[in-house]
Amino acid sequence: MHSLEKFMLRLSEKRTRTLLYQGLLIAFILMFFYIACVNVNNNLAAAGIHIDYGFLFSESGFDVNESLIEYSSESSYIRALFVGFLNTILLSFVCIVGATLLGVAFGVLRASQNWLGSSISFLYIELMRNLPKLLILLTLYILSINSLPHVREAYQFFGVFHLSNRALYFPTLIWQEHMITVFLTCVAALIVVYIYRRYVNHFKDKTGQDLPFLWPSFLFVGFVFFLVSMILGVNYSFDFPALQGFNFAGGGEVSVQFFVLAFTLSIYHGGQIAELVRGGIQSISKGQEEAARAIGLSYLQTMRLVVLPQALRVIIPPIGNQYLNITKNTSIGLAVGFSDLVSVMNTSINQTFRPIELMSVSTLIYLAICLVVSVLINAYNNHTRLEKA
Amino acid sequence: MKTETDNINNELMPRTTGVVHNMVKLARNTRRWIYFRLFRTPIDILITCIISALLLQFLPKVLAWLTWNSVAFWGDPNLCTEEGACWPFLREKIRLILFGTYPFSEQWRPALACLLLVGLVGLSFTQLLRLRSTVIVWTIGSVAFFVLMSGGSLGLVEVDSIQWNGLPVLLMLSIFSVIGAFPIGILLALGRFQKEDPVLRSIAVGYIEIVRGVPMVMVLFMGLFILPLMLPESMNLNSLYTTLIVLVFFHAAYFAEEIRGGLQALPKGQYEAAKSQGLTYWQSMRFIILPQALKCSMPGNMNTLLGAYKDTSLVVILGIHDIMATAKMAYSEPQWQQYGVEAYLLVALWYFCTCLCLSTYSRKLETTESKAAK
Repeated sequence: MHSLEKFMLRLSEKRTRTLLYQGLLIAFILMFFYIACVNVNNNLAAAGIHIDYGFLFSESGFDVNESLIEYSSESSYIRALFVGFLNTILLSFVCIVGATLLGVAFGVLRASQNWLGSSISFLYIELMRNLPKLLILLTLYILSINSLPHVREAYQFFGVFHLSNRALYFPTLIWQEHMITVFLTCVAALIVVYIYRRYVNHFKDKTGQDLPFLWPSFLFVGFVFFLVSMILGVNYSFDFPALQGFNFAGGGEVSVQFFVLAFTLSIYHGGQIAELVRGGIQSISKGQEEAARAIGLSYLQTMRLVVLPQALRVIIPPIGNQYLNITKNTSIGLAVGFSDLVSVMNTSINQTFRPIELMSVSTLIYLAICLVVSVLINAYNNHTRLEKA
Repeated sequence: MKTETDNINNELMPRTTGVVHNMVKLARNTRRWIYFRLFRTPIDILITCIISALLLQFLPKVLAWLTWNSVAFWGDPNLCTEEGACWPFLREKIRLILFGTYPFSEQWRPALACLLLVGLVGLSFTQLLRLRSTVIVWTIGSVAFFVLMSGGSLGLVEVDSIQWNGLPVLLMLSIFSVIGAFPIGILLALGRFQKEDPVLRSIAVGYIEIVRGVPMVMVLFMGLFILPLMLPESMNLNSLYTTLIVLVFFHAAYFAEEIRGGLQALPKGQYEAAKSQGLTYWQSMRFIILPQALKCSMPGNMNTLLGAYKDTSLVVILGIHDIMATAKMAYSEPQWQQYGVEAYLLVALWYFCTCLCLSTYSRKLETTESKAAK
């Protein structure tokens, strides 16, 4: 009796109760997972499958229509997933750059005095905010498939670019042995330019005078490039695409799917970013702009030197969120048959029926991408933030 | 604002009266407006020129395609050309786009069901009803929706959910997923926000971050492939309901983050005051904290809601036939293959109008609330 009373007394303490709840919660979660695992095991066993990641290294047997690295149907599943991962990264990168450019341009235009520009960007922002991205994607896709010419009648640009309803064909540089040396020297030259830039800034802080920066650095990098190319005897020649039979041979190609996807996601997220940029600009007090104009800065200078740097602090966190969304939204490429990570995963699942393994791998990859992107954004955010006094 | 040129103009202007004076004034104002809003700086001139050049290039073509080169809605579909839109196509196919393969003679049922859902949403937006009656009305409404759609009782023919297509599917998935996700989002936010229970907290954090770190398409695939595996063999979920469940749990993570923002924005005094009144945790949440936090996070929640509604279209990738998939069905017949854009324009019109209503409503909510705060 005595111990039961003691127990009841302790139960009435808050800490004990919290501990009890936690224990119950853990037990509940464990039970949930246990039941789920048992069910998964039973269901898979009924289909004659056991969870095993070894198959990732066996031959995939399917083709991927777009790949940055060498890939054939004899390659392994893990390589297929890697191809999808690279495609996702490339597409995200292109879209992030495109959406940022569009977003800043239309956001500034929306906040400007210019009636025509302001109304056009208003229309653009409202359209993008009120339409689903998949709808824009599919509409643009069938538009381009229907209205672009067949391969044999492809549009020509400057005689070297060809655009058909299958792909854009472009010339590529023919790789030579010493190019990597030239490339590395140019990188070294750029580092020298960067150091010079810091010196220019330092000089300006100290004396208030401008040193020439743009043309000497261009001249310097160009000079280094030519000199090293001459010394190593590298000549630059291109592989031009040419019509052979039913398709183009030589050069490189970007599929229409990639094109439309990149365009869609850029304009879609450009609209969202434009709204953020507009909000950021309008949150800066009008006095800042007027003061800048009063000391004789032009409109563009006012924007570049006074308003945008201040607006940047307000808009970086939400824009970072948009970048994460872009990275995730590249997965709608599946709807037009672009081989991104989700698409490759889906094909593999349909072939092997191993959803658990493939999905866990792809989820980890996505989480890693998102983690990297958010770390980068946070680093940039900390870099631009005002130091607290 | 009065500038120097104004004064000069006034002096030079002959003293006129009446209509002439007004017209002169109008002309001057127009000129001033054109100057200030279009041509003030070189940059302005450049922007104006570029935009007008682009508009002159493309606008006539688009307008021609939409109107005078097109075949009118009541016209003959055989006259359609590539030069203009083919609106008779929509006349022929509008029922397919709206209701898909639902039995033709029974299509009044999905129409009524859609009206019911739209009406319910509109009714909730007017905020005439209190919480309890809203819940009751919605419960009755949802039961009526499912009875109407699936039939099998009240003398209605039974229709399998595989045949549910188009608009009702879109409305059902988006509305019910948001309704389900919001309470779960509140619970997740509370779980993440408190400090007493680290286990609950880490579970909430892990759940929210994982779901938010993975694309929606991927989560939908998880529902399609993994959820059936996790259930005992005897249980068979149909893909429409699987998708609904997945959407509920997906959007819950996003709502949770918005609501957590609201919880964080509340001053600490509110929590302490609630505690010092002797309220229990649930009482203080129910009466003090959540009403304020939800109000605070309303703009963000409306944004999430809008995003959720737009993203419902992604279920097409899974093979659920929402309005976008039925649009594709409509133009995939050989004789209509040229007219996909028209079908998508109809869908776009629907989305644009509904989303505009939602965003206008949320903006209005924001302004009334900020006024109330003053």
